[in-house]
Amino acid sequence: MSYRVRSVFKQTVDYPHQGAAVFMVFPAITLMIIILLIPVLVALVFSFSSYSLGSNHFEWVGLDNYQRLFSRSNYQKMFSATFTYVAIVVPFSVVLGLGAALLIHSLRFAQDFYKTIYFLPVMASLLAMAIVWEFTLHPTIGLINDTLASGCDISWLYHLLTGSWYGVDPTNSWYGNGCMRGFPLWLGNKNYALWTVAFISIWQAFGFNMVLYLAGLSSISRDLYNAADMDGALSSWSSFWLVTWPMLGPTTVFVVTITMIRSFQVFDTIEVLTKGGPVKSTYVMMYAIYEKAIQQNLVGMGSAITILFLAFVMVLTIVQRWLVERKVHYS
Amino acid sequence: MSHYSPIAETCKHLILIIGALIVFLPFYVMVSYSLKSPKEIETNTGGFWGAQAPMVNQYCVKLGNPVDQCTTTPIVFNYTSAFNKAPLLRYLLNGVIVTLSIFIIQVIISMPAAYALSKLRWRGREAVFNLILFSLLIPVHAIALPLYLMLSKAGLVNTYAALVIPWTISVFGIFLMRQFFKTVPDDLIDAARLDGMSEFSIVWRVMLPTAVPALIAFAIFSVVAHWNDYFWPRIVITGNQNLFTPPLGLREFRGGADGSDWGPMMATATVIVIPLIVAFLIAQKKFIGGITLTGMK
Repeated sequence: MSYRVRSVFKQTVDYPHQGAAVFMVFPAITLMIIILLIPVLVALVFSFSSYSLGSNHFEWVGLDNYQRLFSRSNYQKMFSATFTYVAIVVPFSVVLGLGAALLIHSLRFAQDFYKTIYFLPVMASLLAMAIVWEFTLHPTIGLINDTLASGCDISWLYHLLTGSWYGVDPTNSWYGNGCMRGFPLWLGNKNYALWTVAFISIWQAFGFNMVLYLAGLSSISRDLYNAADMDGALSSWSSFWLVTWPMLGPTTVFVVTITMIRSFQVFDTIEVLTKGGPVKSTYVMMYAIYEKAIQQNLVGMGSAITILFLAFVMVLTIVQRWLVERKVHYS
Repeated sequence: MSHYSPIAETCKHLILIIGALIVFLPFYVMVSYSLKSPKEIETNTGGFWGAQAPMVNQYCVKLGNPVDQCTTTPIVFNYTSAFNKAPLLRYLLNGVIVTLSIFIIQVIISMPAAYALSKLRWRGREAVFNLILFSLLIPVHAIALPLYLMLSKAGLVNTYAALVIPWTISVFGIFLMRQFFKTVPDDLIDAARLDGMSEFSIVWRVMLPTAVPALIAFAIFSVVAHWNDYFWPRIVITGNQNLFTPPLGLREFRGGADGSDWGPMMATATVIVIPLIVAFLIAQKKFIGGITLTGMK
């Protein structure tokens, strides 16, 4: 009881900088409320309306927008495109990032060379590089299809790639088919478009993951490997599972969640390369918000997607924090 | 690692070189196309440099100039068209204005807040810090739509303000600087107070100089993100070319591109991408540190 009284008494004496402190955080707090918190409320309110910008028509529609989100086939395609995209990009860019980091970390020469090259895409404007990839993947003049097609004329390569060497019918193979009927349109084909866009993302993102893994690797103490060696973990395979992988746990949690959040937010490549098509196969959520709310002025619908999107991202971040805070604590 | 074998080392290099070629491919294509003539691009000939055979700039002829004055090499044609057909210089300038304003305002707002949160004791500190931890959950791109609605109600769409305002508050910046300030010894601040410094001059004259390494990392993080950002400018800048940032300018170029524009378009892409790449190559360690800041809590 006496302790309590003392602490209350201390409060009045011990805050000599109360005024200065409040003054210092005031601009930040005000901006945070206006720019981050109020918009969430605005989106929430509009998601129950059929508002559109320019007309002063505002009507409550209850849960109509959400109902549409979960029943219309367009939005089902949106969810499926978004989740498929995330499900492709995350494992590939995390595994490639880890693989590159492990290889580079174990090198004797030229570590920095590879690190630099692999990090280049992270620095480059994704929009610009998406346009370059579009050229490279162009069905008629692109480097990729040109190279693929030139292989058709080289007899041994043709036999190797179509599998006719081991008695497979060349017209049944992917490559043989391409030689006969032309190679895929990549971005113009609904079976390839999402994978192609995902490929560009993986190309851009894995260098970022690699650098985080390299930092994680260099912080693992050599003693741990020696101890594992003593315990009989002689192969690099078992020392990876015994030491490296568990020690990289916190890095992996971070890498996976940040890659997830970023791939959820994919927009640049979709807007410039596919516009959500063909047949909505790349109709991801950010693009849907842009198309519905900004281009077609269906603010209510766009807000409902925004709220759902926010919910996904928040849940992901909270799960990440919970996983991380079991290990490290912000003091 | 411990058992070095030249064979294993060679195999690793082989795998990594193949990876490096794939990573490097689009950069090669970009620069190479920016050097070649339309014909060479269309037929995929000419190697990296192209033949650099003289070509006639049809656009220049249409403007009424004699043909011999309009004859240039592809490389000159591509790069001059990049700057003449669209106000690329203006786009670059806009990019600089926007990224710098964002960074400077972020610093002005977040430094005092971070100082108050890390070095001063005051009522409400916990609540404010919890609010910051909560706001870290909200990515600005995700609330682009309500922000756009608010800015358009305020009549700010198609202004520099619209490009800058949503980024003026960097919750992450506050969080980061707070973590950094916590490592600054209290004695330094007490000494400054004894010298009669006000709390505000402590922020700018004592804390700022000690925070330079952290600020450089944050600057790289912020500038790279906003120089390359396409989504937000795309939403708030509708049509007014004078406000286009570099990615928007490139997008506009692509919109109207026909066969003869590919070279100039790749030249534009090169001009937009190169500054950051060069800066990165000069100060690699700093850049990698800055970009991966979010991962180094």
